[in-house]
Amino acid sequence: MAMTDWTIIRRSMRARLFSTVTTALTVAVAVALLFTLLVMRDSGRRAFARGSGNMHMLVSADASPMVSVLNSVYYANPPRRFISWAKYQEITRRFPLEFAIATQIGDSFRGQPVLATSPELFTKFQPTPGEPWKFAAGAAMREGEAGLWDVVVGSQAARATGLKMGDKLSLTHGASTSREPGHVHTKFSYTVVGILETTGSAHDRALFCRIEASWLMHAFDRHELEEAREAEAAKAAAIAKGETPKAEEHDHDHEHADEPLPTMADLTDEDRKITGVYLRLITRAGSDVPANLAQVFTMLRSDASIQVAQPAEEINKLMAIVGNVDQILVGMAAVVMVSSGIAIMLALYNSMEQRRRQIAILRVLGCSRPRVFGLVVTEAAIVGMIGAVAGVLLGMGGAAITAEIMRARVGLVIEPMPSVEIVPLLVLGTVLLGAVAGVIPAMMAYGTPVAKNLRPVG
Amino acid sequence: MEHDAALELKELKFEYTPGTPVVDIAHLAVARGEQVLLTGGSGSGKSTVLQLISGLLDPVSGSVVVAGERLDTLHGAARDLFRGRHIGMIFQSFNLLTGFSAAENVMAALMFSTIPAREHLARAVDALKGLGIETPDRLVDELSVGQQQRVAVARAVACGPALVLADEPTASLDPENAAIAMDLIQGACRARGAALLCVSHDPGMAARFERRQALAELNRAGKR
Repeated sequence: MAMTDWTIIRRSMRARLFSTVTTALTVAVAVALLFTLLVMRDSGRRAFARGSGNMHMLVSADASPMVSVLNSVYYANPPRRFISWAKYQEITRRFPLEFAIATQIGDSFRGQPVLATSPELFTKFQPTPGEPWKFAAGAAMREGEAGLWDVVVGSQAARATGLKMGDKLSLTHGASTSREPGHVHTKFSYTVVGILETTGSAHDRALFCRIEASWLMHAFDRHELEEAREAEAAKAAAIAKGETPKAEEHDHDHEHADEPLPTMADLTDEDRKITGVYLRLITRAGSDVPANLAQVFTMLRSDASIQVAQPAEEINKLMAIVGNVDQILVGMAAVVMVSSGIAIMLALYNSMEQRRRQIAILRVLGCSRPRVFGLVVTEAAIVGMIGAVAGVLLGMGGAAITAEIMRARVGLVIEPMPSVEIVPLLVLGTVLLGAVAGVIPAMMAYGTPVAKNLRPVG
Repeated sequence: MEHDAALELKELKFEYTPGTPVVDIAHLAVARGEQVLLTGGSGSGKSTVLQLISGLLDPVSGSVVVAGERLDTLHGAARDLFRGRHIGMIFQSFNLLTGFSAAENVMAALMFSTIPAREHLARAVDALKGLGIETPDRLVDELSVGQQQRVAVARAVACGPALVLADEPTASLDPENAAIAMDLIQGACRARGAALLCVSHDPGMAARFERRQALAELNRAGKR
């Protein structure tokens, strides 16, 4: 094979293998850091943007609109305050709505949150606008009595819990984020009737059941609690009278073992509680923003008993807050990138003394000064490219680990996929940085005095 | 201008410090295929003359013509390419590219020539075999001193230059090896039809050359 510039560059890099590898590693670490930050920022934004889907407004009783969105759309914490069913009905009567999907969050299964809602969620609400739910297996909860104990599992939740179609399960009262351990609703057994495909939103880690089923479970709990209180009161009264309390009155579990489960007819207004309402106003064809959005929003906001939020707006506010932090992080990563460029420059600069003779020989053989300059700049750019490619691979691993930590700790489902332009831009940017870092050593090579460097050594 | 000249210097002047000429040569011509010994002691300006001839230094005035082309009027990359294609150089310390094989060292000269790249390897191997190197793939660092010198000679003549400049090629060799080295250099130049201008202060070299030129007589700057 003929000798080319590439042969010279390759040999030069191989001759200083340790220096080349360590310099490329320095670049790789910097690129990986920057890549991870950029990917997580983009993926995080996408994940946040996806969750609220095609709803226009979210109604809840939370303390603030942002908390309301974080709790009811991203399952950050179970909402502590409830909206009455009567209020829900009032809202649906007052405004022209495409959908008003009632939700209740509070239960969990093996750490995964449960969204109690109506089957409408799967037909009308889209977790990402224009992208309806898709089932990997089965279908949504059935309407009516037959589907009362149906449960649908999000893709991430299915992976985390190992739930499959037809599996039976009981839910735990209380969320995974709750500090107090909840009790398991063992009396009520759900059946998995559907497993969702990944939506890239927080809903992927949730389970979905009928809101009526949730009401029934909590009605049962309420009834148990009331009986327990009555028993406690009776016991206290007996002790006060100097009598010995009856032993069977303490056997709470035994007492309720055969107690009939509540039916829909047993539910009171107190049982029919919800924590949120996903609202979408009627829109004209081809438009996603209804003309009366601001008006309805203002009217709902004037009701002091509820909190109303426009999720898209709240997410923008959140991103603006987070954006300041991630700009600092990206800035720091950029500084690390520049440092890696300096590392390339120093490595080549330090090697120049050893390379002067080689450069002088090439010059004598007919290599021009600009070509010598180009050889050194190209070598620097190649070190940058190797570092960039290694860094992107390293960064992909880093992003996957970070995404897993985010999922486990914050519950935010992030698909750590870089946007199309990040990889080529990052690689190209690093190659350019390498080339720029090579300019000073290349200038030294350019100015190498030939005769002086061809003299016999010693 | 002499039409058959591989090299012709006319009124060539050079000075490192203005007003203090180091080289001042009225005329020197080396015919194509001719072998000339340029003698001179330390500080006589031998190396400076070679740098002027090879275009590594710019004369203050006068002309340097190699293979019929005014080298002194060429600039930058054009001059570098001309040097690579028409002038072969041999040094006392060989100046081979370490970390590269014998064939690659020869091809390093060919890569700046007009010879098509696909022919480089074959030409390099032929040139090395012609000088007794049968292992062109071996790194030059692993070759003996004698073999390294052969590689240096092969590299100098690989492009078929009109002129080969040898700068003290035997200065670091004992008389026996010096004779072998000069046989190689002179033989290779003859075989390729290249003129040879050998610069040396070794008096034993004189017998090898029909034409000998003392730089002290040629360089008017040294007489002042």
